[in-house]
Amino acid sequence: MQSIERSLFSRLVLRVALVLAVGAAILVTAAWYYARAAADDAYDRLLQGAAFQMTESLTVEEGTLTFDLPPSAFELLGLAGRDRIFYRVMAPSGRTLTGYDDLPPGIDLGAVRSNPVFHSAVYRGVPVRVAVTGRALSDPAVSGWAHIIIAQTTEARAELASQLTLRASVLVAIMSVLALAGSALAVRYSLRPVADLGEALRSRDPQDLTPLAVAVPRELSPFVASINHFMNRLDGRMKLLQRFVADSAHQLRTPLTALSAQVSLINDDSLSDGDRRHLTRVRDRAAELSRFTNQLLSHAMVIHRFDSAQLVPVNLTEAARKAFRAAVPITIDPDIVVSFEAPDDEVTVLGDALSLREAIVNVIDNALRHGTISRLEVRVATGDGLAMVDVEDDGPGLSAADFDHLTRRFTSTKSGEGSAGLGFAIASEVAAALGGALRFREKTGAHGFTVVLELPLHAQERS
Amino acid sequence: MRATLATLCALALLLFAGVASAVEGDRVFFKSKQAQSAVLTIHAATDLDAMRPLVLDFQQIAPGVSVEFADYVTNDLFREAEQACRQGSGPGDILLSSSVDQLVKLANDGCALQHVSPEARSAPAWADWREEVYGFTFEPAVFVYDSTKVPPGDVPHTHDELANLLRREPEVYRGRIGTYDVAASGIGYLLAFNDARQAPTIYGRLLESFSRAEAVKRCCNAEVLGEVANGNIRIAYNILGSYAYAAYRKNPNLKIVVPRDYALILSRGVMIPTTTGNRDLAARFLDYLLSERGQRVAREQAFFFSEKSPLPDGVDGPAALMESGIGRPIRIGPALLAAQDRILRERFIADWASLIAKPLN
Repeated sequence: MQSIERSLFSRLVLRVALVLAVGAAILVTAAWYYARAAADDAYDRLLQGAAFQMTESLTVEEGTLTFDLPPSAFELLGLAGRDRIFYRVMAPSGRTLTGYDDLPPGIDLGAVRSNPVFHSAVYRGVPVRVAVTGRALSDPAVSGWAHIIIAQTTEARAELASQLTLRASVLVAIMSVLALAGSALAVRYSLRPVADLGEALRSRDPQDLTPLAVAVPRELSPFVASINHFMNRLDGRMKLLQRFVADSAHQLRTPLTALSAQVSLINDDSLSDGDRRHLTRVRDRAAELSRFTNQLLSHAMVIHRFDSAQLVPVNLTEAARKAFRAAVPITIDPDIVVSFEAPDDEVTVLGDALSLREAIVNVIDNALRHGTISRLEVRVATGDGLAMVDVEDDGPGLSAADFDHLTRRFTSTKSGEGSAGLGFAIASEVAAALGGALRFREKTGAHGFTVVLELPLHAQERS
Repeated sequence: MRATLATLCALALLLFAGVASAVEGDRVFFKSKQAQSAVLTIHAATDLDAMRPLVLDFQQIAPGVSVEFADYVTNDLFREAEQACRQGSGPGDILLSSSVDQLVKLANDGCALQHVSPEARSAPAWADWREEVYGFTFEPAVFVYDSTKVPPGDVPHTHDELANLLRREPEVYRGRIGTYDVAASGIGYLLAFNDARQAPTIYGRLLESFSRAEAVKRCCNAEVLGEVANGNIRIAYNILGSYAYAAYRKNPNLKIVVPRDYALILSRGVMIPTTTGNRDLAARFLDYLLSERGQRVAREQAFFFSEKSPLPDGVDGPAALMESGIGRPIRIGPALLAAQDRILRERFIADWASLIAKPLN
């Protein structure tokens, strides 16, 4: 039992989607990281500006360190509208001049010079960004480094970062969707030769074992080569088998003929009724066997001819008439009305006269054996670029449901009757080999069950 | 017609309130209209007369709510709120103060609760910080003069004209000019600080003139206005338009001038402290103050000025206060923190006091 695997398309698209999702996740993470860095950078400048302004305001007046807070520094920080501001001004002695006494520097003040040093911290339970700057005082009364610590909450930064990240994410999402759609299209396009190959295999005639002639991409050519190699071997085996069947049939024919002759020599007058009945059965079976052997031979012959013989224009009417004569026995029940109709114009098809005759004989023979009660009509007709040989009988016919397997070898619709249905198979194979088909028409009120051998008209005839 | 009706109603309400509320010092209790379900404690640095119509109208919407109103001087309110925040508990459910710098400082120190008010959308952007401090009024700082004492030719229309008037006629106006004592009044300090920021030169000249004219310093709006009404002083500087207009309505001789060079605009702040015992009710009152109804009551009965409507009748001033750029709103935001810096404040007050106390020459 062949397990059903996921399609190549879904496998490929799934993997592409997986790669894209991982890529998008990495990109969004990177975007978030950069956005945060950018937001920090942007708002650190505000802090830096404010820190510079505030350090400028540290002065020593008459031996006392004074600080004149510039309101503009806070206006600058106020550009990050929602953020809270904490600050502390420390004298060189470590004394807090003004601001929040409990705001920790967070870093080693000894290392801080006039360039602001930034770090992130938590103050009063909220995350803050802290800038620490120093100012060298060289007054005899007050000397050393005074420090200014400014802390600002990070709401504006977080918002800017999330906005930037959101925008980047939207772009990444759009790109991913586009890439996925593009990949899906590309995969679909790339897989089309596989579908084409499948279609070529599927639409092939069941009996066609010639190499595949489908243009495929390089990746698929080993596959096609394998198929062709396999078909080649199969073809060889088939031919061998056919030759074996033909040879067997041929070998069978001689003893069968002898058997029939011997059976016919039996004097049935001296037999009891029971024995006579048995003899009749033996005679019938021998005849059937003989016919079947002939069919096998005819089948083998048809196949062989198409393998070797060139197709030539053939007068279909002529072939049909010959077949009609051959198939309808002289000893036919006189109650059965048989007729043959053909158009006045010559109907020409490209084919092989012998095979055609064999095909038509088999169809008529089948009709006589299994269909006809009192009427058999054989008609040659043309129409719609096709030549047709209709064989109609007034028997019960077959239902449309059976049509499909009628042309298979050794199937019979009437099981148990012992008729091995090679007839339709032969006719169908001939029709297929000549580019036509064997069709069936169900019995209706107007006409009986009809078998139609359709063949394309020869081009010259049509023009 | 409608306006007169509204005024009548307001008067009736005022009379009724006068009967209903029990005054005990600077605390007033507004009993609920129906069975009392909750008590809202308002701690305010805002005149009770201004807030009364708003409180009473709020009780129309919330009839089960009693309101306890405590009036403070701005600095006292700030000290109490700071202490409450440090200790983690305090008596006020909601704070109102004209000294918005103090409220901003409280919010910056994490003493304010955030309340995203659905009514704040129509309010100007400069009157909201972090959804913690909202400005709910529009109050220009104005000159008030006694029209019986100041001849029309002397009436100043700009800060410059006021300074020139005092220089020109020092004898007439000596001891007849009144303003806040910035050390005692938070709002006085805030206005002076912003004057110094907006127009340092003019303000310097003005202070010098005040000093020459031996200006009278009083702690609060009411007292300065009272001195004008008494006839002790003739011109009052930097009075909040709302109080001035209320005084004008009582005594039409007190005329109001909105300066034509620049006019500071204060939006009185409201804030819910973290120590509130009644968060939902406080938020409801805040929403009411910012709502259209609250704003209408404020405009008609309490604070009279509004950003969206023209100056009230009888007020002399520029036609388009905001569009012309004359109105300079004091933005509620972190820049106000500078005003609350300890050293800056001490120096500013010391400088101011020394400037105004003795003439420079």
